[in-house]
Amino acid sequence: MKVCVGQVTLPGDEFDMSPLESNKKIVVGPGLAEFEGMIKIIKPGILRYREPATYWIDSHQKRYVANKGDLVVGIVTQKVGDIFRVDIGSSEQASLSYLSFEGATKRNRPDVKIGDIVYANVLVANKDMEAELVCIDSDGHSNGLGVIRSGGFLFQSSLHLVRKLLNPNCVLQKTLGKTFEFETAIGMNGRIWVRAQSDIQTITMANAILASEHMNNVQIETMCKKLCKVASKMD
Amino acid sequence: MAAAFIVVRKEDLEAQQNAESCQTLRCLTSELGCLTRSDGSVSFSQGDTTVLAVSYGPAEVRINQEQYDKATVEVVYKPKVGLPRPIDRKREAILKSTLEAAIVTSLHPRSSISIIIQETEDLGSNMACCINAACLALLDAAVHMAFMVAAVAVSVMEDGQIKLDPNKKEELEGRATLTFVFDSADLKVVSVVTSGTFSQEEYKKSIDLTRLAAERVFQFYRDSLSKKLMQSI
Amino acid sequence: MPLFKTFKITQPKEYYEKFLEKDVRPDNRELGEFRPTVLNIGCVTTAEGSSLVKLGNTSVICGIKAEVAEPASDGKKGYLVPNVELPPLCSTNFKPGPPSELAQVLSQNMVDFLTDSKCVRLEDLCIVPGKLVWSLYIDLVCLDFDGNVMDACTLALMAALRNTLLPVVTVDEDSGEITTDVSIHQKLSISKCPVSTSFIIFDKKILLVDPTSEEEDLATGALTIITEGDNLCSIYKPGGTPLTDTQMKTCIDRAFLRGREAERLIEELIDK
Repeated sequence: MKVCVGQVTLPGDEFDMSPLESNKKIVVGPGLAEFEGMIKIIKPGILRYREPATYWIDSHQKRYVANKGDLVVGIVTQKVGDIFRVDIGSSEQASLSYLSFEGATKRNRPDVKIGDIVYANVLVANKDMEAELVCIDSDGHSNGLGVIRSGGFLFQSSLHLVRKLLNPNCVLQKTLGKTFEFETAIGMNGRIWVRAQSDIQTITMANAILASEHMNNVQIETMCKKLCKVASKMD
Repeated sequence: MAAAFIVVRKEDLEAQQNAESCQTLRCLTSELGCLTRSDGSVSFSQGDTTVLAVSYGPAEVRINQEQYDKATVEVVYKPKVGLPRPIDRKREAILKSTLEAAIVTSLHPRSSISIIIQETEDLGSNMACCINAACLALLDAAVHMAFMVAAVAVSVMEDGQIKLDPNKKEELEGRATLTFVFDSADLKVVSVVTSGTFSQEEYKKSIDLTRLAAERVFQFYRDSLSKKLMQSI
Repeated sequence: MPLFKTFKITQPKEYYEKFLEKDVRPDNRELGEFRPTVLNIGCVTTAEGSSLVKLGNTSVICGIKAEVAEPASDGKKGYLVPNVELPPLCSTNFKPGPPSELAQVLSQNMVDFLTDSKCVRLEDLCIVPGKLVWSLYIDLVCLDFDGNVMDACTLALMAALRNTLLPVVTVDEDSGEITTDVSIHQKLSISKCPVSTSFIIFDKKILLVDPTSEEEDLATGALTIITEGDNLCSIYKPGGTPLTDTQMKTCIDRAFLRGREAERLIEELIDK
């Protein structure tokens, strides 16, 4: 079966290349692969397109596969020599060097304990190697990355919800921000950390985020209005 | 075939063939994502035969099962009552190699993709039901697959009549039961499992009949996945 | 080390491809050719029936022990209990301990082989209805694992069944005492002769019959067909590369050819 942009695709479907000029270079993203000179779909989802010639499959999944440049929320599980092993929810634990924190030197080790939550950037991601994380940008600044240790609540969601929240068109965080004061760390690996003024507010936020998975912007705004009313009565 | 000549009226034969080709599958139902903690899950039923299939992956692999160039596919089959028997081991082996053919294992080396199947009710065509459920569970988890697989069973009755998607009674009364698995790309034969004796003619008929039915199973996959994806994306 | 050996070890697939281009296999066989089959019966004197099968290097020994047992509730059916063992001596792939997954699957294949083909009617194993039946323990031990153990096992199983002699058992009606007369023996009545033929798929397109262990390791799929006379007893293709109907038909035709060949082999041996 041949598929076009915007359609539901299933593995084994063929990518319809006929509308493309044959000599045009195209970029295929996740969910598409080449088999014997043909581009085939290897994931269930919806075919998307972006100018000039990028195609990918938007799919709904829960399991994270590490990708270079992703911001992830991980949990430190082990200290081995100079590196920390961090669980980021993929098939292997990622490694995080003690030197890749802001201001860290051989003398001045960062204060990281087993069980800590870290917000980190994926520096190396390759199917044949374990993922490597860093908590600094290329200038050596933390830029919001690092250990998160001031309470709050960490929960797991589907990868698609995370992408939806990070989409600039999503109104959830903006609408909630009008009433609540809160901090979040949203990892591409489906882990979300939230902290608000009180525990009740934090839980409310977490529930609101999880509930928004199957809602559109209008529904999200309605939900937020209701929540704000309830929350203001509780305080 | 033994040299026996039986007088068959042409009309009778045609009527029988028509009846056979008009047969349909029992009602297919699925509930995708019925469990919350797993990566992919489905409760799938074909008529009254129901199984629960769950998939995880690509996840951490046991060190002795690690393969440096591809993912390890594991299948666990839990019977409705009692402990797994050798017959269930064979079932697991068939499921494992069938799914291995469909999954693009080379994309996730040193990891495991596991599928757990819990039999809930076996009222005929259990093997086919398990394969279809496992495929749906993998689709729900969005595991990379080169193609999908669909399984359909037939029973050959004593009089040579072929029953599509047999129930338990037809399976027990029949002379043979054949389960075929087809791929979604060009409907080639991925797996065949049979029990009982049958002729080449009956084999030919069965494969044609099941291939037609497999297309309907693929359409069912498309419908259930579309429903899920339209809702969540 | 000679160059061709290095080539074989470092690039086994390419090594095979070089041969298959010329329609020949490294052991000088054609693609559809079986290895020489050697059959020997009655080699275990302490068993009621036995056989030794060699398919090239692969060898399997089969022994059948008979015991009297009480029948299940329906009273007339005896028992057939096949078991396949893959001990560590047959290959480095197997470790001591409980049976490997492959051994369990092969044992189940033997059970299915016997039930699908109905080559032994379980009613024929009845001694006294409702009281005594024969229980045949069929043990298959692989001595050398060089591929295609399935075909070797089924051949050994059939030869051993044809070779089985059961003593005459009588039961005293009043006292219920069981007496065995070892001087008179009865043959098992076996009317059918199912034969299995295994194939592997190499490089997603080429079909090879009777694979060696090396070929099995390189395979992208496997297929076993059991024929009995003009009928099919089983087609077993667990996953692997999808095949077209034409490819399946070629395999089935080859299996019927092999079926007649193997049947003749067993008949000749029994007649001796």
